[in-house]
Amino acid sequence: MAAFSGTVKEADRFEEYLDRAVSEVFSVMMGVDCVVAENGAAGERENISAVVGLAGAMSGSLVLHSGRRAAMRMSELMTGSAPDGLDATVRDAVGEVCNMVAGAWKGFDAVMCAGCLLSTPTVVAGCSYELFSQRAPVRIERSYRFEDLTLTMTIFCEPSA
Amino acid sequence: MSGIAVLIVDDSSVMRKIVERALRQAGLNLTKVVEAGSGREGLNALGRERVDLIVSDINMPNMDGLEFLRQIQAQSLGGGAPVVMITTESGEEHVREALAAGAQGYIRKPFTPDQVRDRVLPLLVPA
Repeated sequence: MAAFSGTVKEADRFEEYLDRAVSEVFSVMMGVDCVVAENGAAGERENISAVVGLAGAMSGSLVLHSGRRAAMRMSELMTGSAPDGLDATVRDAVGEVCNMVAGAWKGFDAVMCAGCLLSTPTVVAGCSYELFSQRAPVRIERSYRFEDLTLTMTIFCEPSA
Repeated sequence: MSGIAVLIVDDSSVMRKIVERALRQAGLNLTKVVEAGSGREGLNALGRERVDLIVSDINMPNMDGLEFLRQIQAQSLGGGAPVVMITTESGEEHVREALAAGAQGYIRKPFTPDQVRDRVLPLLVPA
Protein backbone atom coordinates (compact mmCIF):
# COMPACT_ATOMS: atom_id res chain seq x y z
CA MET A 1 0.00 0.00 0.00
CA ALA A 2 1.41 3.40 -0.97
CA ALA A 3 2.31 5.82 1.80
CA PHE A 4 1.22 9.42 1.77
CA SER A 5 4.23 11.74 1.92
CA GLY A 6 2.46 15.00 2.68
CA THR A 7 3.01 17.47 5.53
CA VAL A 8 0.86 19.87 7.48
CA LYS A 9 1.28 22.24 4.52
CA GLU A 10 -0.94 19.86 2.59
CA ALA A 11 -3.87 21.26 4.57
CA ASP A 12 -4.61 23.85 1.89
CA ARG A 13 -4.92 21.14 -0.73
CA PHE A 14 -7.06 19.02 1.57
CA GLU A 15 -9.34 22.01 2.16
CA GLU A 16 -9.81 22.46 -1.56
CA TYR A 17 -10.56 18.76 -1.97
CA LEU A 18 -13.07 18.95 0.88
CA ASP A 19 -14.89 21.90 -0.69
CA ARG A 20 -15.09 20.05 -4.00
CA ALA A 21 -16.21 16.81 -2.36
CA VAL A 22 -19.00 18.49 -0.38
CA SER A 23 -20.18 20.38 -3.45
CA GLU A 24 -20.18 17.21 -5.56
CA VAL A 25 -22.10 15.10 -3.05
CA PHE A 26 -24.80 17.73 -2.46
CA SER A 27 -25.14 18.51 -6.15
CA VAL A 28 -25.29 14.92 -7.39
CA MET A 29 -27.19 13.21 -4.58
CA MET A 30 -29.45 16.06 -3.40
CA GLY A 31 -29.68 18.42 -6.35
CA VAL A 32 -28.70 21.51 -4.35
CA ASP A 33 -25.71 23.82 -4.22
CA CYS A 34 -23.57 23.61 -1.12
CA VAL A 35 -20.93 26.31 -0.71
CA VAL A 36 -18.46 27.45 1.89
CA ALA A 37 -20.12 29.46 4.67
CA GLU A 38 -17.68 32.27 5.30
CA ASN A 39 -19.28 33.17 8.62
CA GLY A 40 -19.26 29.65 9.98
CA ALA A 41 -22.18 27.37 10.78
CA ALA A 42 -25.20 28.55 12.72
CA GLY A 43 -25.58 26.63 15.96
CA GLU A 44 -28.64 24.61 16.92
CA ARG A 45 -29.36 23.01 20.28
CA GLU A 46 -30.18 19.58 18.88
CA ASN A 47 -27.55 18.22 16.62
CA ILE A 48 -26.11 15.13 15.03
CA SER A 49 -22.63 14.06 13.97
CA ALA A 50 -21.29 11.34 11.68
CA VAL A 51 -17.72 10.02 11.78
CA VAL A 52 -15.89 8.05 9.09
CA GLY A 53 -12.47 6.66 9.95
CA LEU A 54 -9.46 6.84 7.62
CA ALA A 55 -6.75 4.20 7.68
CA GLY A 56 -3.74 3.27 5.58
CA ALA A 57 -1.91 5.98 3.65
CA MET A 58 -3.80 8.49 5.79
CA SER A 59 -5.06 7.81 9.29
CA GLY A 60 -7.63 9.88 11.13
CA SER A 61 -11.27 10.70 10.72
CA LEU A 62 -13.70 12.88 8.85
CA VAL A 63 -16.60 14.28 10.86
CA LEU A 64 -19.85 15.83 9.69
CA HIS A 65 -21.67 17.94 12.26
CA SER A 66 -25.07 19.49 11.65
CA GLY A 67 -28.13 20.78 13.39
CA ARG A 68 -31.51 19.09 13.46
CA ARG A 69 -33.02 21.04 10.57
CA ALA A 70 -30.04 20.54 8.28
CA ALA A 71 -29.93 16.81 9.03
CA MET A 72 -33.64 16.39 8.37
CA ARG A 73 -33.41 18.37 5.15
CA MET A 74 -30.46 16.27 3.90
CA SER A 75 -32.51 13.15 4.58
CA GLU A 76 -35.54 14.59 2.78
CA LEU A 77 -33.48 15.58 -0.26
CA MET A 78 -31.96 12.11 -0.49
CA THR A 79 -35.06 10.01 0.13
CA GLY A 80 -37.86 12.25 -1.14
CA SER A 81 -39.72 11.92 2.18
CA ALA A 82 -39.85 14.54 4.93
CA PRO A 83 -38.91 12.98 8.30
CA ASP A 84 -40.78 13.73 11.53
CA GLY A 85 -37.63 14.00 13.62
CA LEU A 86 -34.07 12.75 14.01
CA ASP A 87 -35.10 9.17 13.33
CA ALA A 88 -33.14 6.17 12.04
CA THR A 89 -33.53 7.28 8.42
CA VAL A 90 -32.07 10.71 9.18
CA ARG A 91 -29.16 9.14 11.06
CA ASP A 92 -28.57 6.77 8.15
CA ALA A 93 -28.72 9.62 5.61
CA VAL A 94 -26.27 11.80 7.56
CA GLY A 95 -23.88 8.85 7.85
CA GLU A 96 -24.06 8.24 4.13
CA VAL A 97 -23.42 11.90 3.32
CA CYS A 98 -20.31 11.77 5.51
CA ASN A 99 -19.25 8.51 3.86
CA MET A 100 -19.65 9.88 0.34
CA VAL A 101 -17.82 13.11 1.19
CA ALA A 102 -14.95 11.07 2.64
CA GLY A 103 -14.83 8.88 -0.48
CA ALA A 104 -14.95 11.84 -2.85
CA TRP A 105 -12.38 13.73 -0.77
CA LYS A 106 -9.77 10.98 -0.86
CA GLY A 107 -10.62 10.29 -4.50
CA PHE A 108 -9.10 13.62 -5.52
CA ASP A 109 -5.64 12.41 -4.49
CA ALA A 110 -4.15 9.44 -6.33
CA VAL A 111 -2.11 8.20 -3.35
CA MET A 112 -4.98 8.46 -0.87
CA CYS A 113 -7.39 7.01 -3.40
CA ALA A 114 -5.29 3.87 -3.73
CA GLY A 115 -3.97 3.54 -0.23
CA CYS A 116 -6.50 4.97 2.22
CA LEU A 117 -9.43 2.90 3.42
CA LEU A 118 -12.68 4.17 4.92
CA SER A 119 -14.63 2.77 7.84
CA THR A 120 -18.38 2.47 7.84
CA PRO A 121 -19.91 5.63 9.35
CA THR A 122 -20.72 6.03 13.05
CA VAL A 123 -23.47 8.49 13.94
CA VAL A 124 -23.75 10.35 17.24
CA ALA A 125 -26.94 12.18 18.24
CA GLY A 126 -26.70 15.06 20.71
CA CYS A 127 -23.91 17.45 21.54
CA SER A 128 -22.55 16.27 24.89
CA TYR A 129 -19.38 14.68 23.60
CA GLU A 130 -15.83 15.57 22.66
CA LEU A 131 -13.86 13.93 19.91
CA PHE A 132 -10.17 13.34 20.57
CA SER A 133 -7.64 12.24 18.01
CA GLN A 134 -4.23 11.89 19.64
CA ARG A 135 -2.23 11.44 16.47
CA ALA A 136 -3.67 14.04 14.17
CA PRO A 137 -1.30 16.90 13.35
CA VAL A 138 -3.59 18.11 10.57
CA ARG A 139 -6.99 19.49 11.52
CA ILE A 140 -9.23 21.09 8.91
CA GLU A 141 -12.61 22.55 9.77
CA ARG A 142 -14.91 24.02 7.13
CA SER A 143 -18.49 25.21 7.34
CA TYR A 144 -20.90 24.95 4.44
CA ARG A 145 -24.28 26.34 3.52
CA PHE A 146 -27.07 24.75 1.47
CA GLU A 147 -30.44 26.44 1.07
CA ASP A 148 -30.65 28.38 4.38
CA LEU A 149 -28.98 25.64 6.43
CA THR A 150 -25.42 24.98 7.53
CA LEU A 151 -23.17 22.11 8.47
CA THR A 152 -19.53 21.67 9.44
CA MET A 153 -17.00 19.15 8.17
CA THR A 154 -13.85 18.47 10.17
CA ILE A 155 -10.89 16.31 9.13
CA PHE A 156 -8.41 15.07 11.71
CA CYS A 157 -5.58 13.30 9.93
CA GLU A 158 -2.01 12.20 9.95
CA PRO A 159 -0.28 11.19 6.75
CA SER A 160 1.54 7.89 7.26
CA ALA A 161 5.33 8.14 7.32
CA MET B 1 -37.38 -4.52 -21.25
CA SER B 2 -39.24 -7.27 -19.37
CA GLY B 3 -39.51 -7.34 -15.59
CA ILE B 4 -36.29 -7.44 -13.57
CA ALA B 5 -35.75 -8.84 -10.09
CA VAL B 6 -32.90 -7.07 -8.31
CA LEU B 7 -30.98 -7.71 -5.10
CA ILE B 8 -29.61 -4.51 -3.53
CA VAL B 9 -26.97 -5.03 -0.84
CA ASP B 10 -25.98 -2.02 1.26
CA ASP B 11 -25.83 -1.43 5.01
CA SER B 12 -27.58 1.91 4.49
CA SER B 13 -31.34 1.63 3.98
CA VAL B 14 -31.32 5.16 2.56
CA MET B 15 -28.78 4.14 -0.06
CA ARG B 16 -30.77 1.03 -0.94
CA LYS B 17 -33.78 3.25 -1.66
CA ILE B 18 -31.67 5.66 -3.71
CA VAL B 19 -30.24 2.79 -5.77
CA GLU B 20 -33.72 1.40 -6.35
CA ARG B 21 -34.94 4.82 -7.48
CA ALA B 22 -31.93 5.24 -9.79
CA LEU B 23 -32.58 1.82 -11.37
CA ARG B 24 -36.20 2.77 -12.02
CA GLN B 25 -35.10 6.14 -13.43
CA ALA B 26 -32.70 4.22 -15.67
CA GLY B 27 -35.73 2.60 -17.24
CA LEU B 28 -35.68 -0.77 -15.54
CA ASN B 29 -39.05 -2.40 -14.91
CA LEU B 30 -38.36 -3.70 -11.41
CA THR B 31 -40.86 -6.41 -10.59
CA LYS B 32 -39.10 -7.49 -7.41
CA VAL B 33 -36.65 -5.67 -5.14
CA VAL B 34 -34.85 -7.75 -2.53
CA GLU B 35 -32.87 -5.78 0.06
CA ALA B 36 -29.95 -6.96 2.20
CA GLY B 37 -27.93 -5.05 4.78
CA SER B 38 -24.68 -7.01 4.48
CA GLY B 39 -22.92 -9.52 2.30
CA ARG B 40 -24.04 -12.29 4.62
CA GLU B 41 -27.70 -11.24 4.28
CA GLY B 42 -27.14 -11.00 0.53
CA LEU B 43 -25.94 -14.60 0.37
CA ASN B 44 -28.96 -15.72 2.38
CA ALA B 45 -31.23 -13.84 -0.02
CA LEU B 46 -29.61 -15.50 -3.04
CA GLY B 47 -30.26 -18.86 -1.42
CA ARG B 48 -34.00 -18.30 -1.54
CA GLU B 49 -34.64 -15.73 -4.30
CA ARG B 50 -34.00 -15.74 -8.04
CA VAL B 51 -32.71 -12.37 -9.24
CA ASP B 52 -31.64 -10.93 -12.59
CA LEU B 53 -29.30 -8.25 -11.23
CA ILE B 54 -27.24 -7.77 -8.07
CA VAL B 55 -26.10 -4.32 -6.91
CA SER B 56 -23.76 -4.20 -3.94
CA ASP B 57 -21.80 -1.78 -1.78
CA ILE B 58 -18.26 -2.73 -0.71
CA ASN B 59 -17.78 -1.29 2.81
CA MET B 60 -20.28 -3.16 4.98
CA PRO B 61 -20.21 -4.87 8.36
CA ASN B 62 -20.82 -8.64 8.57
CA MET B 63 -19.15 -9.50 5.25
CA ASP B 64 -18.05 -6.78 2.88
CA GLY B 65 -18.93 -6.58 -0.79
CA LEU B 66 -15.74 -8.17 -2.07
CA GLU B 67 -16.14 -11.24 0.11
CA PHE B 68 -19.80 -11.34 -0.92
CA LEU B 69 -18.66 -11.50 -4.56
CA ARG B 70 -16.17 -14.26 -3.80
CA GLN B 71 -18.79 -16.29 -1.97
CA ILE B 72 -21.24 -15.93 -4.86
CA GLN B 73 -18.60 -17.47 -7.12
CA ALA B 74 -17.52 -20.14 -4.61
CA GLN B 75 -21.08 -21.23 -3.86
CA SER B 76 -22.34 -20.80 -7.44
CA LEU B 77 -25.13 -18.52 -6.29
CA GLY B 78 -27.01 -15.89 -8.24
CA GLY B 79 -27.66 -17.93 -11.38
CA GLY B 80 -25.22 -15.85 -13.40
CA ALA B 81 -26.95 -12.54 -12.62
CA PRO B 82 -24.58 -9.63 -13.31
CA VAL B 83 -23.14 -7.88 -10.24
CA VAL B 84 -22.56 -4.13 -10.16
CA MET B 85 -20.68 -2.51 -7.29
CA ILE B 86 -21.82 0.96 -6.15
CA THR B 87 -19.35 2.26 -3.61
CA THR B 88 -17.33 5.19 -2.29
CA GLU B 89 -14.14 3.19 -2.90
CA SER B 90 -12.98 4.36 -6.32
CA GLY B 91 -9.28 3.49 -6.46
CA GLU B 92 -8.03 1.44 -9.40
CA GLU B 93 -6.97 -1.25 -6.95
CA HIS B 94 -10.51 -1.56 -5.63
CA VAL B 95 -11.97 -1.67 -9.14
CA ARG B 96 -9.51 -4.36 -10.24
CA GLU B 97 -10.20 -6.39 -7.11
CA ALA B 98 -13.96 -6.18 -7.62
CA LEU B 99 -13.74 -7.15 -11.29
CA ALA B 100 -11.40 -10.03 -10.44
CA ALA B 101 -13.88 -11.23 -7.81
CA GLY B 102 -16.67 -11.36 -10.38
CA ALA B 103 -18.22 -7.88 -10.64
CA GLN B 104 -19.26 -6.81 -14.13
CA GLY B 105 -19.71 -3.14 -13.36
CA TYR B 106 -18.46 -0.47 -10.95
CA ILE B 107 -20.09 2.84 -10.04
CA ARG B 108 -18.64 5.39 -7.65
CA LYS B 109 -20.80 7.20 -5.09
CA PRO B 110 -22.03 9.89 -5.51
CA PHE B 111 -23.66 8.77 -8.75
CA THR B 112 -26.21 10.08 -11.21
CA PRO B 113 -29.11 8.07 -12.68
CA ASP B 114 -27.40 8.43 -16.06
CA GLN B 115 -24.30 6.67 -14.75
CA VAL B 116 -26.46 3.86 -13.43
CA ARG B 117 -28.24 3.55 -16.77
CA ASP B 118 -24.98 3.55 -18.75
CA ARG B 119 -23.32 0.88 -16.61
CA VAL B 120 -26.28 -1.38 -15.83
CA LEU B 121 -28.42 -1.54 -18.97
CA PRO B 122 -25.71 -3.06 -21.22
CA LEU B 123 -25.36 -5.92 -18.73
CA LEU B 124 -29.04 -6.80 -19.03
CA VAL B 125 -29.38 -6.81 -22.80
CA PRO B 126 -29.49 -10.39 -24.10
CA ALA B 127 -26.45 -11.29 -26.24
